[in-house]
Amino acid sequence: MTAQLVALLVVPGGAFVLVCGLVYEWLDRKLVARFQNRVGPRWFQPAADVVKLLAKEEIVPSGANALILNALPLVALASVLTAALYVPMAGLSTAWSFNGDLIVVLYLLSLVSVCVGLAGVTTRDRFAIEGAGRVFTQVFAYEAPWLAALLGPAVAASSWNIADVAAHANGQWLVVTQPIGFIVAIVGLIGKLELAPLDAPEAETELVAGSLTEYSGRGLAMFRLAKDATFVVGLALIAAFFLGGAADIVSWLLKTVALLVIIALVQALFARTRIDQTVALWWRIGVWLAVLQLLAIGILHQVGL
Amino acid sequence: MPESALDRAETLLDSSGRDANRPEPNRLDVRVDPKDLLTAVASLMDARWGYLSAITGLDNDSQLEALYHFCSGADIVTLRASTDRADASLPSVCRLIPSAGVFERELSELFGIDIQDAPDTSRLLLPDDWPLDVFPLRKDTDVSNVPSVPVLSQPSEKNRFVVPIGPQHPALKEPGHFEFTADGEVVTAASLRLGYAHRGIEKATESRSWIQDLYLLERVCGICSHVHALAYSLGAERLAGVTAPPRAQAIRELVSEMERIHSHLLWLGVTAHEAGFESLFMYTWRDRETIMQLVEDLTGNRVNYSANVLGGVKIDIDAARAHALLNGVDFLEQRTRHYLEEVGGDETFLRRTRHIGIMSAHDAEVLGVVGPSARASGVLRDIRAEAPYAAYLQFPVEPVLRHTGDLEARVLARVLELFESYRVIRELLDNLPAGPLVARMPRRIRAGETISRVEAPRGELFYFLKSNGSEHPERIKIRTPTLCNMSSALHLTVGRYLADVPMLLAGVDPCFSCNDRSVHLNVAGDTWTWQQLSQHAREFYA
Repeated sequence: MTAQLVALLVVPGGAFVLVCGLVYEWLDRKLVARFQNRVGPRWFQPAADVVKLLAKEEIVPSGANALILNALPLVALASVLTAALYVPMAGLSTAWSFNGDLIVVLYLLSLVSVCVGLAGVTTRDRFAIEGAGRVFTQVFAYEAPWLAALLGPAVAASSWNIADVAAHANGQWLVVTQPIGFIVAIVGLIGKLELAPLDAPEAETELVAGSLTEYSGRGLAMFRLAKDATFVVGLALIAAFFLGGAADIVSWLLKTVALLVIIALVQALFARTRIDQTVALWWRIGVWLAVLQLLAIGILHQVGL
Repeated sequence: MPESALDRAETLLDSSGRDANRPEPNRLDVRVDPKDLLTAVASLMDARWGYLSAITGLDNDSQLEALYHFCSGADIVTLRASTDRADASLPSVCRLIPSAGVFERELSELFGIDIQDAPDTSRLLLPDDWPLDVFPLRKDTDVSNVPSVPVLSQPSEKNRFVVPIGPQHPALKEPGHFEFTADGEVVTAASLRLGYAHRGIEKATESRSWIQDLYLLERVCGICSHVHALAYSLGAERLAGVTAPPRAQAIRELVSEMERIHSHLLWLGVTAHEAGFESLFMYTWRDRETIMQLVEDLTGNRVNYSANVLGGVKIDIDAARAHALLNGVDFLEQRTRHYLEEVGGDETFLRRTRHIGIMSAHDAEVLGVVGPSARASGVLRDIRAEAPYAAYLQFPVEPVLRHTGDLEARVLARVLELFESYRVIRELLDNLPAGPLVARMPRRIRAGETISRVEAPRGELFYFLKSNGSEHPERIKIRTPTLCNMSSALHLTVGRYLADVPMLLAGVDPCFSCNDRSVHLNVAGDTWTWQQLSQHAREFYA
């Protein structure tokens, strides 16, 4: 019981994911800043932002449903923290596990984006509504290929259980055998987190802050934590599946940070894609590549290679 | 002797105008009756004689006069239409020249000349609470005590999804207000409201001396301050019959080109930022510091260089400064080559610029676009080449023309112009004429009118100066390039994706502080102290 509570609240779930998320956010911001010849934030800045936001007044825009407005960030944060429990974190084995948890985790992660989109619609702000439209458009664009990409290792391992897939992938670098899946997963994570260049939903030069324009205080803090946690869970998942597993803390740290550096580089390298270009990118290229990859794995698996 | 452009214009205007005269070698003034105005404008337009550069209003006691300035190369034809002060009205020329809309709105708001059949009569510049019957640029209007009238709230239109951009918006760090009607991601209509930063500079010049005005006008714009002072100085010198010495003219050109470099680099960064390409934004602004530092070393200032005095310049260049400047230019040229590769080769950036916001040469002419935006559409409008001023005759620049007219062309036109600026700076420094820096300038300037045009980084800057022989100017009219280019930018956004809007707006390099300068708003009738201001803010928001 105590062990379960620790797993739920401290390590590997709960507090660990949140703290790790803040640290990774800082690392990401700092790296992008340095790539762009800026100074970047100090190490405690993301945490300071959260503390500051928690102390701020929460504004309910007129016409918005306060209950839904306050519930959405909670749901978002709760779903990603739940997802974290089924993903191997910090070199530990997963806290909970059941057959089919991979699908549940992928859906829980999508729930974060859905909550962000709903938040935009709820606040009834023009920028937020326009942003919400883009959030949903982007979800429909990357979700299918992302799912297909992460199913690749699962098919190879013949299991829908994350712990099993991770155990199977441990020691073999699936990035070599499934390079397309790896790339799609990385780009999918960037889209999920709405980071540059796939940040059209919150393009500040057009939509201020997109969906979350009207959020302030606690709700915004919670959404940010949820995104940070998604970052960590996504990185952990990709590291475990594609980068030869992360069975000890050192390799977990090394591999997730290596992925983070790649993502930071991508953010600094490209101009923002327009939302129609994002959709075209995924449905004209991404989805076919991911399906091809999946088919190839499936066939090879059937013939027993 | 071949027929000159002005002779041709005089022939064209023979039937509709009267009292044609040539106040200066490159100018033709023709009086027209308000009822003949449209005929006169049509005969110029039908013959494709130049473009409408500006409309100046004048207050001549019982009559109000509107001056329609048409420019073709260095030649300027001015149609002068007078109308009774009591019942001032003129026909709209928008049917013939669509781009005249903003000029006419400015004229009708500031002078109270009713424009008949105007397509758009909404307020452009004056505040919403400004009384409808107070016209600030009429001589008898005392702007120190204008009452505030209640603002009527506009009935909201149903079934329209309007995305407001500005006056406070991350897309536009400048105070303009745009409303874009969006159908999903596609813009279906666009409108513009200016005037959030009005300072009433045109009115203010009339109560200051010629010398004070130099410093006031330099503050019209925070980016291209030098060209404003330059246009004014050149005009005032011409009125006074003074020519600045060659060394001063060369230094004026030098500072102009340095200003162009910093402005274009700034613009490149802004455009990259609008495209979500933050890395390019950060790098261009870092490198822009090089030229800012050089300007500061040369003039002592970063924003208002204050390089000009009436009759010349007050700064000189010694060997050490020239050396530093050459080094800086070498560095910037190498960096600009890199940016050229970047904006011309980066796939994601090209997807945001290529074939987007295409403006044909015809559109550019009809919409009255000036400067690099026009040159990107293949329309040669560059005052430096068309009507060389300062030292541009001895140290010419080659205008950069692009022909595709899309955003990519607008980016490339400006980046390629930078190389031309680097080249001419080197040439200037190598061949700087020796001699004095200032010619003697009289305190009073003899009565007369002149027009001074210079090429600002954003395009043609137009100054009309009128002296009445006293220490104060009678009238100074400023027409900034942004006013010409703004309507074209709006025109381009309709039918495009919302995501392209910030880039299309930025594509013409709008400068709002240049635009907003015509009105004086005096809240309490006297100067406020900092304490009073913060007290007012506290009470206002309490």
